[in-house]
Amino acid sequence: MPDRRKIVGGMFLLTTAGLLLLVPPLVHLFNHDFTVLGVPQIVFYLFGVWLALIVGTGVLTSRLSPERPANGEEGEG
Amino acid sequence: MLSADFVIATAIAYVGLLFVLAYFGDRRAKANKRSWLNSPAVYTLSISVYCTSWTFYGAVGNAARSGLEFLTIYLGPTIVFVGWYFLLRRLVRISHLYRITSVADLLSSRFGKSSRLGVLVTCIAVIGIAPYIALQLKAVTSSIQAVAGSSEFGQGSLKGIDDVGLALGVAAGMALFTILFGTRHVDAKEQHHGVVAAIAFEAVVKLTALVAVGVFVVFIGGGFEGIFSQAAAKGIVMDTSTSFDSRWLTTLALSIAAIVCLPRQFQVTVVENSDENHLRIAGWAFPAYMLLMSIFILPIAIYGLTVMPEGSNPDMFALTLPLAAGQNGLALFAFIGGFSSATSMIILESIALSIMVSNHIIMPLVLRFSPPQYGDGQGVSRVLLVARRFSIMLILSLGFFYFFFTRDSDALAPIGLISFTAIAQFFPALLAAIFWKDASLKAVSMAILLGFVFWAWCCFLPSFDSVSPAVSQLLLEGPWGISWLRPEAMFGLEGWDPLAHAAFWSLSVNILTLTLGSLITTPSALERIQATAFVDVFRRPNLPQRNFLPGSATANDLYFVAERVLGEQRAAALFESAARDSGVDPIGFEPTPEFVGRLERELAGSIGAASAHVMLSKVVAGSDVSLEEMMQMADETQQVIVYSQELEKTSAELRTTAQKLEDANAQLRELDSQKDEFLSQVSHEVRTPMTSIRSFSEILLDGHSLDDTQRQRFVSTIHQESLRLTKLLDEILDLSALERGERNWQSQPVDADAALDRALSVCDALLRQKGMRVDHGDRAGPTMVEGDPDRLCQVFINLISNAVKYNDAAEPVVRITSALRSGNFVVEVADNGPGISKGERKLIFEKFSRGQRGAIDQAGAGLGLAISRQIVKRMKGTLDLAPSPLPGACFRLRLPVIRG
Repeated sequence: MPDRRKIVGGMFLLTTAGLLLLVPPLVHLFNHDFTVLGVPQIVFYLFGVWLALIVGTGVLTSRLSPERPANGEEGEG
Repeated sequence: MLSADFVIATAIAYVGLLFVLAYFGDRRAKANKRSWLNSPAVYTLSISVYCTSWTFYGAVGNAARSGLEFLTIYLGPTIVFVGWYFLLRRLVRISHLYRITSVADLLSSRFGKSSRLGVLVTCIAVIGIAPYIALQLKAVTSSIQAVAGSSEFGQGSLKGIDDVGLALGVAAGMALFTILFGTRHVDAKEQHHGVVAAIAFEAVVKLTALVAVGVFVVFIGGGFEGIFSQAAAKGIVMDTSTSFDSRWLTTLALSIAAIVCLPRQFQVTVVENSDENHLRIAGWAFPAYMLLMSIFILPIAIYGLTVMPEGSNPDMFALTLPLAAGQNGLALFAFIGGFSSATSMIILESIALSIMVSNHIIMPLVLRFSPPQYGDGQGVSRVLLVARRFSIMLILSLGFFYFFFTRDSDALAPIGLISFTAIAQFFPALLAAIFWKDASLKAVSMAILLGFVFWAWCCFLPSFDSVSPAVSQLLLEGPWGISWLRPEAMFGLEGWDPLAHAAFWSLSVNILTLTLGSLITTPSALERIQATAFVDVFRRPNLPQRNFLPGSATANDLYFVAERVLGEQRAAALFESAARDSGVDPIGFEPTPEFVGRLERELAGSIGAASAHVMLSKVVAGSDVSLEEMMQMADETQQVIVYSQELEKTSAELRTTAQKLEDANAQLRELDSQKDEFLSQVSHEVRTPMTSIRSFSEILLDGHSLDDTQRQRFVSTIHQESLRLTKLLDEILDLSALERGERNWQSQPVDADAALDRALSVCDALLRQKGMRVDHGDRAGPTMVEGDPDRLCQVFINLISNAVKYNDAAEPVVRITSALRSGNFVVEVADNGPGISKGERKLIFEKFSRGQRGAIDQAGAGLGLAISRQIVKRMKGTLDLAPSPLPGACFRLRLPVIRG
């Protein structure tokens, strides 16, 4: 199992990078007047970042070992 | 063909289906805790209650009007879920531990169990959500109208009923449904498994419906490319050059706050969460759900703009496009999808809000003004249920009134953003609550209040622009003509997008007040306790909370309180289990502070932390004042205690280390003195033969008068003495070589028992000389071990000759046995000599050590045992002293037997 702290660090990086990629100024880099298969570039970019975030989270989470549930006092109806 | 009546009947049938689902969901959850209702998939689907008819209808309209902006509403929550480990996990953990029931409960509990803060948050939430509920009513009304309007059967029974009447009907129906659904019983942790099951089902319905419409549109539009090129041909071009302005940032920030703070989102994500690990799936699955939801919105919007007649409502494209294409079945499915998204939102939002209202507003009032009524068995749960039903009606009425007043504004999305801005006012407080220990109640209350005032002025009020001339006047000129107070240009900040403007001012003021206020105010003791409990939730072991002094409440008083809130059954069960745990009879049960703490949390699960605290402090004497003092001290002394415990531990460790060092030192000293003694012994031993050798050789050198016999005798003495010297030196060399492992060493299978026999026959002469009797015990028979046969024999000889040499008994006996024990060949050599005194036992195997008695008359160098032990060690065996069957010493040798 990889180091837990590194994975958590990776998740933090993914979160902040995701946020940065979705706001100006970075988002302007991909906002040009040109289309891919008739669809504007920016639409591809935004959905691409979105998909990358989903996949990234899935991969990182799967490498993170599950935790014991916190609650010691379960068991009422 | 669709008629309005048919559509309404379908909707009602759909609601009936939901009800059945919820009913069986509840029964199933009750029967079996680990059913599929507890799966991460259901959890994720229930979170998608976030996608309301705002998504289903509004996002399409928004995309048609303002391009990509609709995406921010889903990208913000994506960020929050991608970072689930940092915020959501913490919230879920805290809420599980402290039985949090809502955002209001979280904030009130964290900030010193303050009822006032709970009331403030609840009021703001109820007012702030009204536009959001109105949005759903509007969407459902418009969708029914859209279907009915296109119907050739005309309006059916809707004839003569306008939007307002329809919306009223929808609101009333929803209220009834929600009451039937969500307020059937009061739960321990406010979990509604049945409702969640229904919501999850609705999530699937709305996703499938929207995807179906999307696929249909893409199909008839000739693919994504076809749709975009047709639009371009008609002059409809998506202008994205100005998309990423302040409004983009604002809506992104607002949606980040909303996914956490919206009452229904908090309810499904945090309160209804039954397992923290479900977040691991939801972290990527919920963003994926939203991605699927959004992927067809842009094509639907653009295709709608292209083919629908000028002036048609873009919000309804998802419905009107299939209708226009004559696909009535698909249109009906789309209608049910939109209806799903609206109903799930209304049901959950009003349940979540009604819990807040009943726990934070009605319950404290009931507690304050009603005399306690004991013995009706139902406890306050009945009051709670009634309170919740009224709250639901109140919330839906507010939504309806907002709809009524603003019915002329046509777009859906802006209405939702008004609610988002109101709810976002909780976000700074929420973050401070779980990350910042110094945040104080006063600062947080003031921050939320000021943020709310700015929201009401800059965001809520302007939404009545179209219906009230007074409001439009105000927007234009400001109150009493004060232009810098104009709601959409506060302090002269003109030319901004109104939403960005309102969000900027309200949130800036909010955050500034919170931080600055917290720095200049001092939190109370209870606040500090709660702050530590919340912020350090992952750091400290979760100690049971003790907020009350021991011995001040009787079990009876507490039981009455518990019965009032929890009802007879649960109260009795709680007390019985506590009595069982402490091992006493339920009648003789004395409440411990831990039990009072647990009871408080149980109560908090039903009526909120603040009310639970108030209720218990009524019966538990010596509560708040002395408690605060005590806690203040405890807070500070706790750290000192922890520190001193650490110190104690360290010093204990140091003590043991010092003791070990001392022992080692004593051993070293003793060895050293033994060595000195031995060296002098050795010098003596060496000197004696050397002296005789020297003197005899001198005599021989000078001796002319010696005859041959004498000469022969002197030479043989010299020879003998030099042999002795050589033997001594050989032994020393042998030992040091063994220790350094340099010696030629044969390793081969050896019959150990045969080696023992050989040793006995070698020693035979010695034994006879001493008149010693050999007592032959049991023998193991031929046994193979790995080692050097001569060396092994040497060890046996050494042991036997020691037994002979040191024996001074009148009838000396040596007893020799060998046996096989758990894979080892074990030889014991025992004698009836003087034995080895306790003090010598440790040293006997050391170099240069000799038994004390031996020192008197033995000429050995004291190396025999040391050498033997080295040899045995190299053969992977052990040589020790063992309890002797005879009065003297007993040596035990163990060697591993080779297998096969």
